[in-house]
Amino acid sequence: MLEVSGIAKRFGATVALDRVSLAAERGRVLALIGENGAGKSTLLKVLSGAHQSDSGTMSLDGQPFLPHSPMDARRRGVAIVYQELTLAPDLSVEDNLLLGQPGTGMGMLFRSRQRERIGEALRQVGLPHLDPKARTGDQSIATQQLIEIARALATDARLILFDEPTSSLPAADVDRLFQLIDDLRRKGLAIIYISHFLEEVRRIADDYAVLRDGHSVGSGQLEQISDEQIISLMVGRDVTDLFPTVSHTIGDPRLQVRKLSGSPIPSDVSFELRRGEIFGLAGLVGAGRTELLRCLFGLRPARDGTVLLEGRPLPNSVGRRKQWGLGLLSEDRKTEGLAQNLSIIENLAMGNHGRYSRLGWLNLAARSRDCQRWMRRVEVKAENGQQCVDELSGGNQQKVAFARLLAQDAEVYLLDEPTKGIDVGTKSEIYRMMGELAAAGKTLVFVSSYLPELLAVCDTIGVMARGRLTEVRPAAEWNEEDLMTAAVATPAASEETEFA
Amino acid sequence: MNLKRRLGSISLALLNHGPALALIAIVLLFTIADNAFGSGSFFSGRNARVIINSAALVAVPALGMTLIIIAGGIDLSAGTALTLSGTALAIAFRDYTIDAQAAGAGTWIALALLGGLGVGVLCGLLNGIIISVTEMVPFIVTLGTMTIFLGLGQVIADESTVYPQTEHLPDWLRYLCYTGSNEERYWIPFLPIPSSGLIAILLGGLVAALLRLTVFGRNIVAVGSSPSTARLCGIRVGATTVWVYALAGIFVAVGALLYFANVKNGNPSDGTGKELEIIAAVVLGGGSLSGGRGSVSGTLVGALIIKTISSGCTMLSIPNTYTHIIIGVIIIVAVLIDGLRNGTPAWLFNRLGRRAD
Amino acid sequence: MPAFVSRCHAIATSLCLTAFLLLPSGCSRDSNSSADATQSVLRIAVIPKGTSHEFWKSVHFGAQKAAKELGNVEVIWRGPVVESDTGSQIEVVKDMITIGVDGIVLAPNQKGGLVDPVQEAIGEGIPVVIFDSGLDDGPEIVSYVATDNYIGGQMAAEAMAKAIDEKGNVILLRYIAGSESTEQRENGFLDRIADYPDITVVSSDQYAGDNATSAKEKADQLLQLHGDSLAGIFAVCEPNANGTLEAIKNAGLAGKVKFIGFDPSDALIGALGNGHCHGIVLQDPVQMGYQSVMTIVDYINGESAEEFQSTGEYLATPENMDEELYQRLLHPPTIE
Repeated sequence: MLEVSGIAKRFGATVALDRVSLAAERGRVLALIGENGAGKSTLLKVLSGAHQSDSGTMSLDGQPFLPHSPMDARRRGVAIVYQELTLAPDLSVEDNLLLGQPGTGMGMLFRSRQRERIGEALRQVGLPHLDPKARTGDQSIATQQLIEIARALATDARLILFDEPTSSLPAADVDRLFQLIDDLRRKGLAIIYISHFLEEVRRIADDYAVLRDGHSVGSGQLEQISDEQIISLMVGRDVTDLFPTVSHTIGDPRLQVRKLSGSPIPSDVSFELRRGEIFGLAGLVGAGRTELLRCLFGLRPARDGTVLLEGRPLPNSVGRRKQWGLGLLSEDRKTEGLAQNLSIIENLAMGNHGRYSRLGWLNLAARSRDCQRWMRRVEVKAENGQQCVDELSGGNQQKVAFARLLAQDAEVYLLDEPTKGIDVGTKSEIYRMMGELAAAGKTLVFVSSYLPELLAVCDTIGVMARGRLTEVRPAAEWNEEDLMTAAVATPAASEETEFA
Repeated sequence: MNLKRRLGSISLALLNHGPALALIAIVLLFTIADNAFGSGSFFSGRNARVIINSAALVAVPALGMTLIIIAGGIDLSAGTALTLSGTALAIAFRDYTIDAQAAGAGTWIALALLGGLGVGVLCGLLNGIIISVTEMVPFIVTLGTMTIFLGLGQVIADESTVYPQTEHLPDWLRYLCYTGSNEERYWIPFLPIPSSGLIAILLGGLVAALLRLTVFGRNIVAVGSSPSTARLCGIRVGATTVWVYALAGIFVAVGALLYFANVKNGNPSDGTGKELEIIAAVVLGGGSLSGGRGSVSGTLVGALIIKTISSGCTMLSIPNTYTHIIIGVIIIVAVLIDGLRNGTPAWLFNRLGRRAD
Repeated sequence: MPAFVSRCHAIATSLCLTAFLLLPSGCSRDSNSSADATQSVLRIAVIPKGTSHEFWKSVHFGAQKAAKELGNVEVIWRGPVVESDTGSQIEVVKDMITIGVDGIVLAPNQKGGLVDPVQEAIGEGIPVVIFDSGLDDGPEIVSYVATDNYIGGQMAAEAMAKAIDEKGNVILLRYIAGSESTEQRENGFLDRIADYPDITVVSSDQYAGDNATSAKEKADQLLQLHGDSLAGIFAVCEPNANGTLEAIKNAGLAGKVKFIGFDPSDALIGALGNGHCHGIVLQDPVQMGYQSVMTIVDYINGESAEEFQSTGEYLATPENMDEELYQRLLHPPTIE
């Protein structure tokens, strides 16, 4: 149905796509696989009309297909569901569905004619009872995602592109989404599905196409290829060990958390961490894991409880806690983790400038030397330290954020979803670095929603549910089912006693 | 085709040189036009002095504004804070009745200058504290303090203009903005650059060093680029904001000293509208109102651009009203061109970029 | 790439700054060349307080008239838009020095702030005639050509006394602080009105500002405060009087409160005709422009001039307003 061949796209000196070819067919799901920075997003933008390719041909149902704008692409029946939600939160569901609808003639919105179509689209995505007048921002993330899909359906899309749709969804909603995609496939739509998770790809897709460094490096039917083969296509080398383990020994107690409560979460959390320990935190999104880390780091006020580091209570400000050796890696790389418009060196040195200064005056040479060292240490792929971080791929950005903690010389690493949205190769490097840190006697807290990595990397895993730390066990005594069960369980203590 | 490509890449390359090239172009343009239609005195040492002096009056407070804008803020009260501080200076020199040459005058003059400086810093401090404590938008806070400072100035000046006795002003202060041909009145005997210009360049150097070479300077950039990242890195965002505004107050106060030296009196309502000229200088110099971006050299050049245009228009007998229109157009075009460096607007960037390929 | 860009940027910037800094030393000889006597046409800069009021357009007319009569004179007309903008007026004076005009005719909008620029002009060998409004002592100006504003103020006081039968409460609404000409009117008015024992000045400390809007606001407030017991108001200049007239009409006091203005405008002339205004003190702006240009050209040609030259002051009343002299002064010709 869609045929793409020899597509190339350059931005200035950067080659984003080079001779990319793929084909999507009616009634089948094509998985588009590749590391971050491999060109998936650019390809998606070319297909949806947001960018125009420099050369190459595309055809849709045998007709040449060269969309010059997203509107044009939609008119031809190609719709896209982005990774980040693109709905306007203050508009009603109905208004969002109408946004960008073709055929509204002279800018007028003929609601009655379209309301029917909207109702049908909402039914198809399994939201028949959603009030079209409801404010979009009030819906859950999962519902908003379904609304996005409904928007695609409402435009009579024949080809829908999904850009990592599950990255912000809890497991139950992922099932629902897959069910929906399956329905769409049965109806004869063509689907292109982008994901980092090979398990997902196996569950949902029929065919695959792998991109690496802007090139097509392989495609075919999923049944005929193994995970290991896909990974080696993605990274261009054999990855025999996805979870490299560095042997480390657990030492003396270092951090004691007693009855720590925020407002309203976390509530009544107590645990103890030791030197050389990697402590995993599992749980659903919203269970309070992020809030717990931010309470520990001082970015969220604690309502009650004590935190002792080496037996002494922690100071109040973030700055002082940093001096004491705490470091936090934010889950939100784009707006919090890194200042996107600053250079790699600026980001690495941010908050660590005291190390390169005397009486407030910087030694720029020392700063540059040190930052280059850390860039080499984590193997950041960049032209040089002056490069702006927003030009880096997600994985490289995460390495910069990680390197900042290393440069800070932290003792306790609070890592909030450090592998979210990054490619397999970088993930593996991050696991290795975590292991090395533990071997050097550091203490790590590892928050993740991806259970296999928690089980493989951590020494101890705790599960959080509704703001409480419900269960802590050595990693060896957990498996994925138990973790899931614990995550969805309601904690024993009731809400009333908590606020009493 | 080849020529077209080359043109494209040249136009993209030009974008990167920004304000300085624009200034050179404007100077060239006016020189040519002035030689053709005007008196031919635009490109002269004297006019350079006049332009440098009037640019310095804008540039000095604009240095403080550069810091604020880099830190992601804005200060609409700069204009009225400047005249408030200037009025305070004028009052000090009015109410003190010893001649500048008399014994003991030095102490008094120093006290008067410190007073003016104090007023400026207090204004900045007030802005900074309100912004960081209430977490209100700087635009709104300084919109409020703008009229507060205007009112305060009118109160201390009894709603009129304050005239100090000229004999009470020390000579160095009288001639801060001197642009005539008596070389003895310049700081560097053989190089007649107005003292106000030298002050602007000196302070500019200090601010540039502060931004590049100090921890505080880097923290300002961090706070302006991404406050949440700065907070994550342990930078005290609130305290940094307060200090930035207080520091900007110093530049407002020095600007007030120059303003006072220029007009030799203090009129609190003179300041309304000055803030926009100050902000325009920063923006012309590449400052981004969304924070994190701005440059000292750019700001100095921005102030020169504004004053060069207004001087050139006078030389060519272009009416005032058109001068305003020209400056407005240049601001918008400059910011548009600056935006192209970062790829906005995409439609224009893509056109240029495709040609450049 | 960014490093390269920022380096280029820095280089270009410093080049540019250097160019500007080197200019003064390189070209400083230029500044005096244009004052050479070889030039046949004399260029005279006429700098008003502001360019937007009718009064100045009449001054401009007078200056042009002089230029036309003399034949070899070019008038360069330039001023700040707003009358209170001292900084801009200083810039204009400096620009005129730069252009190298042969003489400057200036109406300083602050008596102190313009002293140094005038001094600078004289230092560069450019003679200066001050008109309309005085300058602080110091610079050796050729002459001061103006209405005798003090006498004008006294005439206003006499007209006011006559209009209110020499008794009652009156208000003096000032212009802006530091404007020499209006201060003289204010002083003349207050000094003369003091001679009438039954007249009380209830307010003389309010400044109306440099535009009609702010004047109306001020007058509104004053009428609110004193309206019931008020006999008369004197507004010391045109924008001030226009605003005050509006305020009097709004308060429903037109005709009841006697109103004396200074300088004409269409609104005031209309008011003089229908009894809302009881006297306008007039000056002769055309004569002012004419005489100033004549004086400076005479001086350049080697003749000396009187230190102060009055251009006369007149009182238009409802009774005499149709006479030819007053019609000319009420509707002075202007340049568009």
